[in-house]
Amino acid sequence: MLDAIEWETCWLEPRRDPALERALRDEHGMVPPSAAYFSASPWLAHSMLALEMVERLHVSAEIADLVGLVVAEDNSCRYCYAMQRTMMRLQGFGTARIRELEASRFAGSLPPADAAALELARRVSRGDPRAAEERDRLLGLGWSADAVGELAFLAAVHVYLNRISTLPALPVARVERVSRLPGLGLVAPIARRLLRSRPRRSRPLEPAECAGPWAYLVESLARLPAGRVLRRVLDEAFASPVLPRQTKLLVFAVVARTLGAAASEREAVRLLREGGIDPDALAAALRHLHAPGLDPVDAAVVPFARETVRYRPAEVQRQARRLLPLLGAERLVELVGVAALANAVCRLGAAASAPA
Amino acid sequence: MTPAAWAALAGLAIAGLAALFVHARLRARRLRSQLAHAVSELERLHRSFARFAPEEIVERVIAAGASRGGERREVTALFSDLVGSTALASSVPPNVLLEILNGHFERMSRAIAEHHGHLSTLIGDGILALFGALGDNPWQSHDACAAALAMRAELASYNRELAAKGLPELAFGVGLHRGTGVAGLVGSPELLQFTVVGTTVSIAARVQQLTRELDADILVTQAVAEHLDARFALEPAGEASLRGFPGQVEIFRLV
Repeated sequence: MLDAIEWETCWLEPRRDPALERALRDEHGMVPPSAAYFSASPWLAHSMLALEMVERLHVSAEIADLVGLVVAEDNSCRYCYAMQRTMMRLQGFGTARIRELEASRFAGSLPPADAAALELARRVSRGDPRAAEERDRLLGLGWSADAVGELAFLAAVHVYLNRISTLPALPVARVERVSRLPGLGLVAPIARRLLRSRPRRSRPLEPAECAGPWAYLVESLARLPAGRVLRRVLDEAFASPVLPRQTKLLVFAVVARTLGAAASEREAVRLLREGGIDPDALAAALRHLHAPGLDPVDAAVVPFARETVRYRPAEVQRQARRLLPLLGAERLVELVGVAALANAVCRLGAAASAPA
Repeated sequence: MTPAAWAALAGLAIAGLAALFVHARLRARRLRSQLAHAVSELERLHRSFARFAPEEIVERVIAAGASRGGERREVTALFSDLVGSTALASSVPPNVLLEILNGHFERMSRAIAEHHGHLSTLIGDGILALFGALGDNPWQSHDACAAALAMRAELASYNRELAAKGLPELAFGVGLHRGTGVAGLVGSPELLQFTVVGTTVSIAARVQQLTRELDADILVTQAVAEHLDARFALEPAGEASLRGFPGQVEIFRLV
């Protein structure tokens, strides 16, 4: 369905890192095809797998797969859409069944709870403040608060994965070709066992373990494995030395302002002030997406962060490429990861805190 | 009955069941094919509709029908009109006129979309674009002015192309104003458009009309100017009375 979406040439050169691949295999059991593009930011490569493979306690595998498809389509991410179709076919979904599920959006043939779940996912993906209505609908249909939190988290994960695939324009031709190969379902019995095997259940986070940037959001997911994964990804992203902390927090602040995610914006501004940012520069950056007091990297990053919120893929890919001469590939990869994380966190925060 | 008769009866029953089974399978396949075709048609219509309305509007219409529910929003309206369009229309054949205008609209539309605007309406050779109508946009005035400057650059580039083909060059006037309005689907069942109703759009249109008097191609009101930073070069153009509105409005040229 997304084949017609314009997609630029990838502006990253893949560079295999054997040590990183060993670490990914040791921890997650696999090396994703795109790891070579993100070897400059090991936390980013780890985060892809940690987030995608997060243990689910409440949301079914079928709904989780559909969320991936719906969010990828919503964000026009050809790479993720093709990957998601491939994963579903590997698990035994026939092409016709996937087509039926895609079409059920038009045919209205999903059960009410599944339809409400996908609608919540779509609204989280769009940063739509009406996500609270779908959240309430799911609660009314018998979903627990933790289940709804897990669903919103899954949608946010795909927002993240879509952006780390879209912003660098990861090559799609091969992935799309694989997604159309006949006979993928023949390995379904093995693939399902591998893909749906449950790791040892992680214990809930203690309050003290939630501490750090966006602690309030991690606390809301503390009873779920998602909370522990989110805490770790946030900590590793902010600990990475490739971009300064201030630059990363500016990205979060701008993304939050764009989405109207008030709680996330407050958190980003609080952390920026703690870090000693010039208050006038911060105010100007948020008011005008420009501040004379910012250094050239921050001055370029601030308007770009806004562009990562809602975009046409080819346009934001061109904008990312234009930053290469100033940032270099390593810092630009890091920026992609941070912008993607900011979009996920701010949307998740808005869905979690929106008034019922 | 003899065993042979029983066997024949059983055979007939099995054949009958098999025929029913095959018939049911064929019917199910036919129905699936019809459903798939219907869904493809719906998707095609969905994509076609997206050429006329942003995805957001398309989704709302699909989800809730062509609901007329509006919401009050703060928006920045950009009104653009070609100068000398009457003379242009009489100086070139009809097919060339449409080609020129469509080339113009394509470039202006691109400049608007690249700056987070929504092209609401084409009125003759005029354009109404809205910023902040589909969702909150804290930087809508910045986007609208950046779009206007991009439109100026696109027009200059287009004029070079037209001149190279020996065709008349174009000139435009653009007016921008910021204020509140009711955003929603407006019209009748036969023709609906997503737009903003209220004085904001009317004021932008009046300001656009002032461009000839004030010898400027882009004018903005104070309501827009106060949201801009120093990157936008503004020249005061005095206060103006706008037909149909009380009082005076402070106007600036966007250089």
